[in-house]
Amino acid sequence: MAAGKELKRRIKSIKNTKKITKAMELVSASKMKRAIAATLASRAYAGYSWEVLQSLAEYVSETKNPFLTVKPVERILVVLVTSNRSLCGGYNAQITRKAVAFIRENEGKTVDFISIGSKGESNLRRLGQNIIASFNDMSATPKLSDVYPVASFILDTFKKGEYDRVCIAYTDFVSALTQVPRISTILPVNKEQIISDIAEMRTVETPVGKIDYVFEPNYETLMASIVEKIARMRVYQMILESTASEHSARMMAMKNASDAAGEMIEDLTLAFNKARQAGITQEISEISAGMASVS
Amino acid sequence: MSKQIKLKIITPEKTIFEEMVDSVSIPTTEGEITILPHHIPLVSAVASGDIVARIGADVVPMAVSGGFLEAKPLTDGSGTELAILADFAERVGDISEDVIVKAKARAEELKAMKDKGEVIDFEQFAAELERSLTRVRIADKWRGKKYRL
Repeated sequence: MAAGKELKRRIKSIKNTKKITKAMELVSASKMKRAIAATLASRAYAGYSWEVLQSLAEYVSETKNPFLTVKPVERILVVLVTSNRSLCGGYNAQITRKAVAFIRENEGKTVDFISIGSKGESNLRRLGQNIIASFNDMSATPKLSDVYPVASFILDTFKKGEYDRVCIAYTDFVSALTQVPRISTILPVNKEQIISDIAEMRTVETPVGKIDYVFEPNYETLMASIVEKIARMRVYQMILESTASEHSARMMAMKNASDAAGEMIEDLTLAFNKARQAGITQEISEISAGMASVS
Repeated sequence: MSKQIKLKIITPEKTIFEEMVDSVSIPTTEGEITILPHHIPLVSAVASGDIVARIGADVVPMAVSGGFLEAKPLTDGSGTELAILADFAERVGDISEDVIVKAKARAEELKAMKDKGEVIDFEQFAAELERSLTRVRIADKWRGKKYRL
């Protein structure tokens, strides 16, 4: 029964694979829960800060703040958020594809990258893109302090005027089943964009007209610090969204793998049992044939 | 019921406080202010120190470090909505003893680093030092006083 033995070995190996994918699925599920909780918690802050910024944006007329001045775009900086590990379905591929499409859209302009996550870095290197910095030690559950270096780097390069626009390519977490790769501009901040972003988020009710605020100490200083904080916050928020997406993508990929392994085990077990049955039938007929020839 | 303030204290990591209160004292960069219902719309920068919310006879103290606040009338005109977007905030009741010990140790470690000149990312470093110090300072200030958790 050589075929039987072979089948048995395959069933065993697939069972082992299934155990691993199942375990990874469970791990991802718990990490995903934590990531989602963090994302939702920070959405409240993001929603509010946008609302404040919108009220403030009403006052923007002539400002020297570099974060608010829209210039003709020549050089673009893209922050690509990917994972450090693979086995998460199309997660990294999707966002990289989005980034490539973005490069094509902006042909003739200089597009440089900052990569967060080693998968994106290696993808970009293969594509021959210019990476000015990469941050590969982002934890599975990033804290605000983890994002500080990235955010400060972005703000600094932008302030120095090295880039005219900073975008971030991240994966928006819609639900455990859907994640959408997205590219959005974080700097400079402009009024129209704030308004459209707020409408998109829909976490806060639409504010009522213009309110006459008192600004302490004064508008310019306040605006500068708020814009900086909010830009930092957005980077954090988008990294959180990406992390939540990564874990749910991995969970789905692992779930599919476990299901496929289960099906395969079933098929192989059926084939194994058939082979065994056939073997027994053959043996019986051989024995009875032998008996008949003897008697 | 008298007029109240709808107070929300939000940090990037979570919502710390969300309740109707009678008054709130906040440390701003221009000095400490107290906001009462029907305050004029205000946007201001928050310094580090303690936010004290008063609800009837109860006081709820919170340690805060950096951020900004926005006060505006509620849409139905029944009071004031006050949102404090803090970089860091924590209820004093949540700061446990061992956290204080840890914060103290961390603050000293950071100070030592500063003296030795081992600081690479100054901005982040300053923020962290400020945070640790504020925690300790506010926890010490409220120790032995009565407050609602």
